[in-house]
Amino acid sequence: MTFAAEHDIPIPYMQRTRDYYQALGFAPYRWAHFADVPFAPLRAPLAQARVALITTAAPYQPGVGDQGPGAKYNAAAKFYKVYSDSTEAIPDLRISHVGYDRVHTTAEDSRTWFPLARLQEAVKAGRIGALAPRFHGAPTNRSHRVTTETDAPELLRRCREDGADVAVLVPS
Amino acid sequence: MCHQTVSLAARHLEENGIPTVIMGCAKDIVEYCGVPRFLFSDFPLGNSAGRPFDVESQRVTLELALRVLESAPVARTTVQSPLRWRDDASWKLDFSDLSTLTPEEIAERRKEFEVVKAVAKTKREEA
Repeated sequence: MTFAAEHDIPIPYMQRTRDYYQALGFAPYRWAHFADVPFAPLRAPLAQARVALITTAAPYQPGVGDQGPGAKYNAAAKFYKVYSDSTEAIPDLRISHVGYDRVHTTAEDSRTWFPLARLQEAVKAGRIGALAPRFHGAPTNRSHRVTTETDAPELLRRCREDGADVAVLVPS
Repeated sequence: MCHQTVSLAARHLEENGIPTVIMGCAKDIVEYCGVPRFLFSDFPLGNSAGRPFDVESQRVTLELALRVLESAPVARTTVQSPLRWRDDASWKLDFSDLSTLTPEEIAERRKEFEVVKAVAKTKREEA
């Protein structure tokens, strides 16, 4: 019998981030935390459902610096308002504006954080009923309040406008 | 903040009657926030939807997420994908690893972060 390595567990990101920024001299960040969790049951089988896709990736913006694979953290490429775009074509989305693992992943293949092509296949296969006509981009704000009071209601409004029955959310 | 952002958004959609599933790689952040349904891939951040240039792993990951969406019995259902990033788990030690940094490098990182914060603040105020 061989045990797995002690460090072979899900990375404790909150602790690592807390230690890291404390060493850099910054105050600890307070992560969102709730005891109660809402739960909406499915109203129809997925084969009949219209699916919304929500991403934290950013549309490529010319003129705001390197957003390519392996680019350093690029705060100028961030966005602060919910955006939407068609699910019929694959858009040019980037993740240089967020803290993905720059040591162990290169961000060369957008399908690893934006599963639109796979969802389109799932529609063709009849696994899901349809895709909503638009996907939506959620701003990655450090402020819980802005996310909860401004961005989340806007995402809900757009999902409803599109007649979405369920949503798949994919952080990058 | 990506995982926290989508967790808060998922909670809001659910409160308003839209069932959700999150596909993600930061298990602690999502579970600490508290969400209804979560497919966890034990992969480096940036690979929530499967491995790079591995369509089959992307397909498996989406299918698992859909199964979580349709079958979770209660809130806080987390399912871990059986896919492994690699056999050797030592990649997990590297994220924000301070032990390899000299005091000068830490000072440099602090300066870089101040710059990043200032850029983000300007962008936020313009938005």
